[in-house]
Amino acid sequence: MSPRYVYGLVAAGAAIPEGLAGLGPSGQVTTIEHGRVAAVVGDVPADRPLGTRDDLIAHETVLDTLAAKTAVLPMRFPAVVEEQGVVDELLGPNEEFFASALADLEGRVQFTLRARYEQDVVLREIVENDSEIRDLQERVREMPEDASYYDRVRLGELIVAAMERRREGEAAQVFAKLEPLAVRVAAHQPTSPDEVVNAAFLVERDRMAAFDAATEDVGREHAGRLRLRLLGPLAPYDFAPAE
Amino acid sequence: MTVATQRQGGGGYVERGGGSGSLADVVELILDKGLVIDVFVRVSLVGIEILTIDARIVVASVDTFLRFAEATNRLDLYGKGKGGKDLPELVEGVTEGGAKGKSAGVLDAAVDKVEDVLTSRRSSRSSRDDGEEAPRRRPRQRARAERSESDE
Repeated sequence: MSPRYVYGLVAAGAAIPEGLAGLGPSGQVTTIEHGRVAAVVGDVPADRPLGTRDDLIAHETVLDTLAAKTAVLPMRFPAVVEEQGVVDELLGPNEEFFASALADLEGRVQFTLRARYEQDVVLREIVENDSEIRDLQERVREMPEDASYYDRVRLGELIVAAMERRREGEAAQVFAKLEPLAVRVAAHQPTSPDEVVNAAFLVERDRMAAFDAATEDVGREHAGRLRLRLLGPLAPYDFAPAE
Repeated sequence: MTVATQRQGGGGYVERGGGSGSLADVVELILDKGLVIDVFVRVSLVGIEILTIDARIVVASVDTFLRFAEATNRLDLYGKGKGGKDLPELVEGVTEGGAKGKSAGVLDAAVDKVEDVLTSRRSSRSSRDDGEEAPRRRPRQRARAERSESDE
């Protein structure tokens, strides 16, 4: 009876890269096969709870390294299963489902793109174009800091709202450029008012270069205004079958 | 601020966040993502202790508003009449003034929080009764542009 950490699922017989470093004390990562699918598993630290920075990074690194070579279905962090249960309860009853999900992801990887405003450029634009904001800002500047609290909150609120209105148009431009190169797109709510795009793109491996080039084009078009950050190729975290 | 500082590969207009390593990236990428096994099957999940990772992303709060108000005030748009600066100087000044640190803001805050949790470890999980589930879900703020086809 020993617990297994399950990183994700691959097709049975898939080539597993050498040197994967797991989060368990042995660091080993192996597979347990059943029929057409296999679970990528490792041991689990027995003396501490899971969830450290290193655990998260190990989870991601194992999956991204796999994804560089083969289709992988990532498990949500953290998945720990009794060893016997990996076949009896996880792979066995779900072989068909996992196999078809893997077939769907075959030859595809995820890229995650974040685009953020060059803050000063956009703030300046907002202040210059909105007289209410301009007036409020003037007022705030004349007042001592402790007296201007509510005005500053209001000012910030107006700026955030203006930024959010503005970013929709720009986000649409980015998506229009990149969506045609992706099989699927998962667009997330921006995590901050100056974030314009936070999205995952499922991309065919043989279109990776094209996707990359298109992202560069977007970066060039919006240079000085948007800062783009591209992560990938990654395991398809955002494209695992829905719950 | 400039394109040049973000040159890291590719054609130079896009920053590449290559391999894993940044906690902020990892948290954003993997938490709440991927296949949830206990939804599909009653797997014998082992009673492993899990640290509570609360990476809540606050989209708009008073702190956010104050942060943007402050960033706006630092722009010094109306300095002209009061012996103000030219635009290039302004841009430089603002950059030196730490606009970068400020603008990273919200996600940083979330990551700080994660680090707090991770470093405070044992004390942090005593608040949970059931103790051994996946990290607390973030509020569902992301909308999937496209749900996967297998809604079983």
